[in-house]
Amino acid sequence: MKKITIALFLILGMATQAQDQYSQKMGEAFGLWKQNKATESSQLFERIANAEPQKWLPMYYAAQINILTSFGIKDEEFLTEKLNKAQLFLDKAKEISPKNEELLVLQAFWYTVWIAYDGATYGPMYAGKVSKIYKNAYNIAPKNPRVVLAKAEWDMGSARYFNKDITPYCKDIEKAIELFDIFEQKTPFYPSWGKQRAEQVLNQCK
Amino acid sequence: MKTYILSILLGSSFLFTYGQTKISGRVVDEYQQAIPNANIYLKESYDGTATNEKGEFDFTTSKVAEQTLLVSYLGYETKTIVKDVAKMQHLKIQLKENINSLNAVVISAGTFSSGEKSKTTTLKPLDIVTTAGSLADPIAAFQTMPGTSTVADDGRLFVRGGRAEETQIFIDGIRVFTPYTASVNNAPTRGRYSPFLFKGMTFSTGGYSAEYGQALSGVLLMNTIDEPTNERTDISVMSLGVGVGNTQIWDKSSLTINTSYINLGPYISLYPDRNQWNKPYQSFAGESVYRRHFKKGLWKLYAAFDAASFDITQVDINNFDGMNFKTDAKNGYLNTSYKHKFNKRWSTFYGLSYTLAHTETFINSDKLENRQQAVHVKAKANYKLGSFMGLNFGAETFFQDISESYRETSQNQFDYGFDNSLSSVYGETQFQFSKNFATRTGLRLSYNNLTEKLYFARRLSLAYKVGKQGQLSLAVGNFHQNPAQEVLKFNGNVAPEESKQYIFNYQLNKNGKIFRAEAYYKKYSDLVKYNTDLPEFDSDFNNHGKGYAKGVDLFWRDNKGIKNLDYWFSYSFLDTRRDFRNYPSSLQPNFANKHNASVVTKYWMDAWKSQIGLTYRFASGRTYTDKNTTGFLNKKTKAYNSLNFNWAYLLSPQKIIFFSATNVLGTKNVNGYQYANTADEHGFFERQTIKPTADRFFFVGFFWTLSKKQTDNQLDQL
Repeated sequence: MKKITIALFLILGMATQAQDQYSQKMGEAFGLWKQNKATESSQLFERIANAEPQKWLPMYYAAQINILTSFGIKDEEFLTEKLNKAQLFLDKAKEISPKNEELLVLQAFWYTVWIAYDGATYGPMYAGKVSKIYKNAYNIAPKNPRVVLAKAEWDMGSARYFNKDITPYCKDIEKAIELFDIFEQKTPFYPSWGKQRAEQVLNQCK
Repeated sequence: MKTYILSILLGSSFLFTYGQTKISGRVVDEYQQAIPNANIYLKESYDGTATNEKGEFDFTTSKVAEQTLLVSYLGYETKTIVKDVAKMQHLKIQLKENINSLNAVVISAGTFSSGEKSKTTTLKPLDIVTTAGSLADPIAAFQTMPGTSTVADDGRLFVRGGRAEETQIFIDGIRVFTPYTASVNNAPTRGRYSPFLFKGMTFSTGGYSAEYGQALSGVLLMNTIDEPTNERTDISVMSLGVGVGNTQIWDKSSLTINTSYINLGPYISLYPDRNQWNKPYQSFAGESVYRRHFKKGLWKLYAAFDAASFDITQVDINNFDGMNFKTDAKNGYLNTSYKHKFNKRWSTFYGLSYTLAHTETFINSDKLENRQQAVHVKAKANYKLGSFMGLNFGAETFFQDISESYRETSQNQFDYGFDNSLSSVYGETQFQFSKNFATRTGLRLSYNNLTEKLYFARRLSLAYKVGKQGQLSLAVGNFHQNPAQEVLKFNGNVAPEESKQYIFNYQLNKNGKIFRAEAYYKKYSDLVKYNTDLPEFDSDFNNHGKGYAKGVDLFWRDNKGIKNLDYWFSYSFLDTRRDFRNYPSSLQPNFANKHNASVVTKYWMDAWKSQIGLTYRFASGRTYTDKNTTGFLNKKTKAYNSLNFNWAYLLSPQKIIFFSATNVLGTKNVNGYQYANTADEHGFFERQTIKPTADRFFFVGFFWTLSKKQTDNQLDQL
């Protein structure tokens, strides 16, 4: 009996150790990111993703870092490599967690990087896709503050371009800020970014 | 017992903390240079690290026995090493650079493509419609590319000294038999197909793949959109007519319909041209694409119908009352294809097209009636082995049935025509040896019903990368094509014509700038000759004709150098001679000009929400026969000049006003001369100048898009 108890204890111990390792490494990766070590951070997320093939979050962050650091890159070859890599993580994450609005928002960002890089070429190709993705994400999770924010910001951009009234989108941003305040993380390390951005965007409304 | 348990505990913790194996090594690239920051880890474990400045790494693992080590670095292929961890020390790991669409050499000799993202893309889909002077006709837009000749009174694509019939047009890989609309003599025709339904086009002025046959000079490949992104309705009100389009999207399928009604009447009454219109040109056209996605396949059905009619009287030197043409033309085209992807390596394609065309023309009181039916069936398979190797093979059959009847005033009626069927198989291999070197070799075997013989066509293309942005390409090959309809109608006893092509190309792509230079030599043999002015019943036909075309094409495009300005420049030098048709010797044909140049500019004015386009085209004179001197094709017309302008104004995201004017300077261009059949009392042949139907042409349109998404508009269709 004792033997069994100990064996159980050992197994449980191993499991919690693995769990802790996940938390510890995720924490470490976020730390690197905060220190502006984006490459190191994304590499660590990649390694965590490798160790935890059933979790979408490390893949989400590995993709996110590659996407966010792609804005502003002028070298098309480098940009392609980075975004292709991000897409690989996104694809894997989508396999694990289909119909995930957070991944959809990230996918929309992926297209937006291309549009920002060369609007004349990629605008006509991807603008429609981005709108479609935001619409999907909104249908899945109308109360997700990041979905509300990203969608509003995107719509606002095109409205502003054509000198249209942006007030309806400002209201959406305000709604997003309210949602940020009540949003509960479903799991540890669940995406929580966006409130600051929403406040910045709202300032442009005033 | 207690000690036993303790030993397990200790033992296991020993395993956890002390049973460590050190893994170490160095990561380098193909040139033995260290790769810092490469990511290294054991599969499905947390054990891993990144390399240091010198490309070195080491980490420890508690794993034992055989494990998988992964090494990844941005821009390089991920390397997998499967080994016993005990042997993973002092590893020397070499990473191979990724071969991707941007860094790899591509076979580009002869090809201009208008695609979304390819490196050989020289025209973007939007360019087709925003090129001033093109009036939303892809054919006209491609005429600003080098390698084409300006034949202003014809409007079709003339490639590198070839007749218009030598360039074939394909939709989704399936041949289009009647690509051009009916038009008045001496006025340019248009392509039947609106650019709206297509996502990409590839225009090849030579050296194309063995997949395409029955074209001596060029191919234009147009691919319909696989998946529209938004449901929308487009309404256009133009000075020439109206148009309506609609796209519906369902879960797995979508349907796009486009219709237009064109009537030249109001325009002609406001702005008469040189013709006397008894009944102005009017046409009704409809196009639709239905697409359905399956788990591993895509089925497309494309259908187009158009009907055009007009009644016109044109001045004619041999006919005091002028020549009257009354035309009624109907054309139907159906094209369906299914693409199936079995896995990463194998994919197949099946396609079928059916054409039914009927044209009735009264020339004064003679009646000419032409009926045409054509079928193209094709199946092909594609095998891909990573980025290294590709294998492409297929089979196809063409059937063509043309019947014509000609009834003279005297009630004599002549009926003639022909049936034609032709079958081919082809195979092609593509190798990407490295990102610097690629080859494509193809073989095409056709059984020709005219001669009942087999014809082999061999094609070879090479591409070699020079420097980071430049590349050299080479293409050689031979091409066969059956003689033109005008000959086959009267005589089936002729053999296919042949061309041999040699193309050498240099291309440089650098930050939104493209430079291309291409030199070519094309040799024609077995061209059809006849002994009458035009092919007739009693002409003697033979295949003794020959000819050549050689030249240099230059292209430069820059859309990044000056903010909001996109421009390109193309120049073609062509030296060609042919001894064919009724030519007495080797001469420069009247559809070829020695120098052709185009400058296309597009400027986006943000403050005005407008795009302004200017296109200038120049072509040196074309040959004609001066009856008052001896010889054939012995004179040349003056050069052709045209400056075209367009302006698209975005009234709101979904409303656009479009204005376009061709030949704004009103240059008096000359298309040729018509001589009197008989000389006057001094033995002099009178002549009249063949001028364009009008020197200038204006177009105004209002385009309105209705969709849930507020930013869609028809800018991509103008």
